[in-house]
Amino acid sequence: MKRSILTAIGLAVVVPLALASCSNGGGTASSTESATASGPVTLSLAGWSLKTTPEFQKLADAFHAANPNITVDVKEYDATNYDTQMTADLAAGSAPDIYVQKNLKNFITYQSGNQLLDVSDVAAKVGNEVSGLADYKVDGKTYAIPYRQDSWYLYYNKDLFSAANVKTPDGSWTWDDYATAAENLTSGLKAAGNPALGTYQHTWQSTVQGLALAQTPKADLLSGNFSYLKPYYERALKLQKDGAQVNYGTVTTNNLNYGAQFGTQKSAMMIMGSWYVATLIAQQANGDANTFNWGIAPAPQYDSSTAGTGKTPVTFGDPTGLGINPAINKSKVAAAKEFLAFVASEDGAKGLADIGITPAHVSDAATAAYFNFKGMPTDNLSKFTFSTHNTKPENPVSKHTAGLQNILADLHSSVMSGSASIDDAIKTAEGRAKNEVLNQ
Amino acid sequence: MAATTPPARLRLSSPTGQRGRLRGWRKALLYVVLIVAAAGVLLPFYWMVMSSLKTNNEVFTIPIKWVPDVFVWQNYVDIWTKADMGTWLKNTMLLSVAVTALQVLTGSFAAYGFSKVRFPGRDVLFLTYVGTIAVPWQSYMIPQFILMAKVHLSNTLWSIIALQAFGAFGVFLMKQFYESVPEELSEAARIDGLSEYGIYRRIILPLSVPALASLSLLTFTNTWNDYLGPLIYLRSPHLWTIQLGLRSFINQYNAEYALIMTGSALSVLPIALIFVLGQKYFVEGIATSGLKG
Amino acid sequence: MATTFETRRPGSRLRLRNTLMGWSFILPNFVGFALLTLVPVVALFYLAFTSWNVFGAAKWIGTANFTRMVGDASFWTAFRNTVYYTVFHIPLTLVVSLALAVLLNQKMRGVAFFRTAAFFPYITSIVAIAVVWNMLFSPDYGPINQFLRAVGVSDPPGWTTSGTWAMPAVIIVGTWREMGYYMLLFLAGLQSIPGELYEAARVDGANAWQRFRNITIPSLRPTTFFITVMLTIGSFKVFDLILVMTNGGPGQSTLVLSQYIYQKGFLENQFGYASSISIVLFAVCIAITVFQFLMNKRRDA
Repeated sequence: MKRSILTAIGLAVVVPLALASCSNGGGTASSTESATASGPVTLSLAGWSLKTTPEFQKLADAFHAANPNITVDVKEYDATNYDTQMTADLAAGSAPDIYVQKNLKNFITYQSGNQLLDVSDVAAKVGNEVSGLADYKVDGKTYAIPYRQDSWYLYYNKDLFSAANVKTPDGSWTWDDYATAAENLTSGLKAAGNPALGTYQHTWQSTVQGLALAQTPKADLLSGNFSYLKPYYERALKLQKDGAQVNYGTVTTNNLNYGAQFGTQKSAMMIMGSWYVATLIAQQANGDANTFNWGIAPAPQYDSSTAGTGKTPVTFGDPTGLGINPAINKSKVAAAKEFLAFVASEDGAKGLADIGITPAHVSDAATAAYFNFKGMPTDNLSKFTFSTHNTKPENPVSKHTAGLQNILADLHSSVMSGSASIDDAIKTAEGRAKNEVLNQ
Repeated sequence: MAATTPPARLRLSSPTGQRGRLRGWRKALLYVVLIVAAAGVLLPFYWMVMSSLKTNNEVFTIPIKWVPDVFVWQNYVDIWTKADMGTWLKNTMLLSVAVTALQVLTGSFAAYGFSKVRFPGRDVLFLTYVGTIAVPWQSYMIPQFILMAKVHLSNTLWSIIALQAFGAFGVFLMKQFYESVPEELSEAARIDGLSEYGIYRRIILPLSVPALASLSLLTFTNTWNDYLGPLIYLRSPHLWTIQLGLRSFINQYNAEYALIMTGSALSVLPIALIFVLGQKYFVEGIATSGLKG
Repeated sequence: MATTFETRRPGSRLRLRNTLMGWSFILPNFVGFALLTLVPVVALFYLAFTSWNVFGAAKWIGTANFTRMVGDASFWTAFRNTVYYTVFHIPLTLVVSLALAVLLNQKMRGVAFFRTAAFFPYITSIVAIAVVWNMLFSPDYGPINQFLRAVGVSDPPGWTTSGTWAMPAVIIVGTWREMGYYMLLFLAGLQSIPGELYEAARVDGANAWQRFRNITIPSLRPTTFFITVMLTIGSFKVFDLILVMTNGGPGQSTLVLSQYIYQKGFLENQFGYASSISIVLFAVCIAITVFQFLMNKRRDA
């Protein structure tokens, strides 16, 4: 028993020390590099899957070319467990100087835990052409700078459309147009002897909920009122029942890959994020995907008020940004802020567009660079889709977002698998939101 | 003394329960049942191996492809050249061997103390050991990580060795086994003048080979397949284990499943080999009978 | 002189010697264990009474986490699901692994192959297992349902896509995965049963089942006890199988306590609350383990 008292005393000393001293960890390479503002500086940047995600190294190299006395050292993290590893590192004081805000859901956790430096001055410098900047603002101050802004589009296979004799999207589709097209495609392809289906919906909750939240007027995730989801789920379930898209249960149990489904022409349409463009092009080049004509169109709209090439279609997507670790050596803050400004600048945007990433900085030069990418569809509708959109965030910034999204994830799996009716699932979710999340 | 020499035909490795060969049809039936069962049990593994020979987009399809259209043997070359399987294998082997050795040695040593020596507070202390097994690791993972980071052990192979080598599982397993060793054996040795350490080394340790072998295999397997621990503690690519290395084929939006299956299939082989070769230690271990002499 | 000294105080000297002796055996393992496991676990107990988002200091809030837990419907769902899994997983695995061990404890050709086959599920990576079993359980395309339809079951279950059948599916896979592991432990235990006992019983005219019941089962008691305790704790703690197979779904039908702890801690950054749930999980496991220990001790007497 004496031993446990000793342990308790020891702990009472160790734990608060450990918990309170999250700063000044400094075990990384940066601690030996405290140079003057004009001397050589090395910054460490967190990135993931470096082998297959070239954007971090691209930004680091481009920045170094423009600022030869600042080197950016990219540290590798795991793509799917990035936030778990980063959380552990920040808690232990061994996180890099600059780290990526992978999605808005975790941004607020880092921000409310004081793990992000105030970068409002960089935000002011960067200006209005950067979309997603407002999403990183909390209490009037900005805590991260976006370098990339993904949006969700409608991908369509031109060859399959003509095989089924269905008119391709013209940029003015509402959801009803989309559903009709999916059904017509499915029957048309069947008649032509092609086993492909009209459309494909991936398993993520965002495929249904992201657009529902962004497009429905007055929809508010944080209110705990989820009735805006109903029409979107009804539509999805109908398409599934009519066989126009693969059953959710089949997709999850067979671990279907959305890239494989669209890329090997098993589906004529797919609503997916803008990152898929680069992947599809790469796969067509190396043979993992078939060679066929495809394009991108705006996602189907809630109603005709935002549909058409004369209007601005509404879609959703979270920005990806960079934030500065407050434990950074004071003498390097200026250099770090330079890097943040760079990634949101036109030069940074052009570098990203060159590798098929959708930059946050919207400009004609960036658009031109993007469409110069070999294999990119160059029709006018695709260019319109890329350059004109009102992208709303998937995750509104609030401490309740993570909890609410977990509840909605459960709703998604129970509705799409048919385990619960839409009304029951929404009622359950609203009850849980009220009792488990919103009252905290 | 003669009583402790077992008569030649009563070796302990004789089949317990069934003596002699089974009769004809019963034996055939047994084999049939076992083969069907083995096929069922191994079916998932068969799919894994077949998938390792497919292209990435062929791995998950509907309907399930039980045989690849084209056999991509190149995957088994790519895993060594394109990926760093050699490094991962080396790290995994190093960790598994080190952890197993430490776990078996310190664990069995401690278990002997718990089982054969009476001292105050023994049972409570033992219950504390077992109690920590009852706490899920992800619960205390963060305080543990902070502790390790403060002593600068994180991002080294030592962190994993330190974490896994002193677990309670080995102590528990060996203690149970020692309790099944009759007390008379130790008594006789004590009367003969052996110290406790001598008894442990000369009598108990040789008797416990099956249990030690089982503990070794299980610890080895657990360390080999451990994923969460290395994920948190082994960040630099040159420290990665096989499970971590295979994760590098999964990027944010996509995954190279064929190579992941290739890596997983290869990863199973060393353990399967150890298991097959070590059969005689797990099961037909050296043990003496004649205690009832 | 020495003799009288000894007879005056035999107890305490022997006790001291035994204590030192016992600790000398335990110490190498205990030092590592105390530093690396015991200290963080004690920290966990402290954290359960705080609200902590990992960054910054933990704020003491007394028993507020536990009060919250009582009214938390998701916690109770997770608790129920965990008990559901445990109640089926333990007996099923115990019976299957004992049967395998007894069956494969004989000298027959190829027995090494069969034992290795039984152990294969345990050595395969959990991600691969989850992926393959999900495919086998696929309601429309999977071989299991195809087989069921072939033998006349008109509406086969949805398995991992159905709220009702997801847990049974997980239980099946859990047993499949662990049977080789526990078979190995049973095999080791079976080795310590002296052959003469069976000989004597055979001479007395006992048949195979009687020998099994009256010799094998009682002699295996320490091993069975160990396996039952490990199975119990393991079932309550089940995590990675559920995470990769169903992620708690569909809905919350396979949400278990360890996963709820992970969600609250790592996905929602509420480490204080997650710690308090861990304490409850721990308390339940310990209570059952102590109960099992006491039952075992009573049998010893």
